[in-house]
Amino acid sequence: MKRVLFACVIVVAIALSSFTAVINGQRGAAPAAPAAATPPAEPAPRLADGHPDLSGVWWGGADVGSNLRGARGGGGARGGARGAAPPPPNFTALYQPAAAEGAKKLADKDDPTLRCIPTAFGTLNVSLYDVGAVGQIVATPKFVVMMQETFHGYRIIPTDGRPPRDNVPPSYRGDSVGKWEGDVFVVDTRNFSDDTWMWAEGRVSPHSDALRIVERYHRVDKNTLEIEATVHDPKMLTGPWTVPKQTLVLAPFDQIMPLICSGTETKGLMDAAAKQSAPAQQ
Amino acid sequence: MKSKVYAALIGGLVLLGAAMPVWGHHSFAAAYDMTKAITVEGTIVQVRLTNPHSWFFLDVKNAATGQLDRWAFEAGTPSGMISNGFKKDEIKAGTVVTIRGFHAKDPSQNAGMLNQLTTADGKTYGMFGPQEGTSGR
Repeated sequence: MKRVLFACVIVVAIALSSFTAVINGQRGAAPAAPAAATPPAEPAPRLADGHPDLSGVWWGGADVGSNLRGARGGGGARGGARGAAPPPPNFTALYQPAAAEGAKKLADKDDPTLRCIPTAFGTLNVSLYDVGAVGQIVATPKFVVMMQETFHGYRIIPTDGRPPRDNVPPSYRGDSVGKWEGDVFVVDTRNFSDDTWMWAEGRVSPHSDALRIVERYHRVDKNTLEIEATVHDPKMLTGPWTVPKQTLVLAPFDQIMPLICSGTETKGLMDAAAKQSAPAQQ
Repeated sequence: MKSKVYAALIGGLVLLGAAMPVWGHHSFAAAYDMTKAITVEGTIVQVRLTNPHSWFFLDVKNAATGQLDRWAFEAGTPSGMISNGFKKDEIKAGTVVTIRGFHAKDPSQNAGMLNQLTTADGKTYGMFGPQEGTSGR
């Protein structure tokens, strides 16, 4: 009997203990420290004409290969995809059949960036970066200048809503015009040459000379720049590609570097490797 | 026995995956034989911090001929290396280093992909320079 009574006491004690734990869990065993209040973001600075000042060095929070990568969020989903994961809708997924067939004839070794030729768009789906992961904007009321670090490129974008020029030859990065729609800077870029790819890193992504990229830049606060883009290429795509919105943050430095590009060694190795793996000539 | 083989295979793949660069301006697998690990010791001739990737050139004594062979190893982007704290004069010409990496697919080339560089005093670098530490910019 004593044993039964002892067992009952134990069971009740365990049940009571569990119940108490549940209660404590619901209420919190100890008062939780109040969450630190996030200070409100500072507003975006403005130019003398009242428009947001887009100036700054922008990135996704870290550089290519950085030990800090992943430490912060920010723009930078790579264009294209490898591996088993289904790729998100992107430029090459919208290829017309002929464009897809043409792309099949190309490989890593044909990547124009191996010869230091920039992309038409950007590997991280951020035109401001081009091949790299950082870019700088210098804004004035008349022009917004966007500069890339990796291949040292630039775009000089008038802000007065003028039409695209018809007297400049096609170029790797196209010719841009801009206009303000409220606080959003809309950039329309056309007149691309047809000898670049949309992305680097061996991601086969040719486009045509009908490529047109419309971007919308919105500095939502001092440290945040959102970019939305729509890509048109009626010669290559079945319809426009809506690029996922990219969110960039202000880098903790105010000047990009003047880096050079010299891709001869890489290109030579890629060509030699391709010959090694090519089937023997009959 | 089979399980040991599988374990070795999986272990090898894990090691290979760990050694592969996360980012690159081209597919390293297209230029380098990731099954052909190499280790060379030599004297740095030049470190070239250029795009699309940086290069380490070094002279390596050929054990068979006694001559010095010039080797080239491809590393990460200069911006990524500098962001990790790599200084432009950090490894000067004349520095004796040991480089572990993967040989170019073309066996006639004295070239490889840099996976790890170790100086004589034991300091190690990865493809993107210092493997730990704070931002250098």
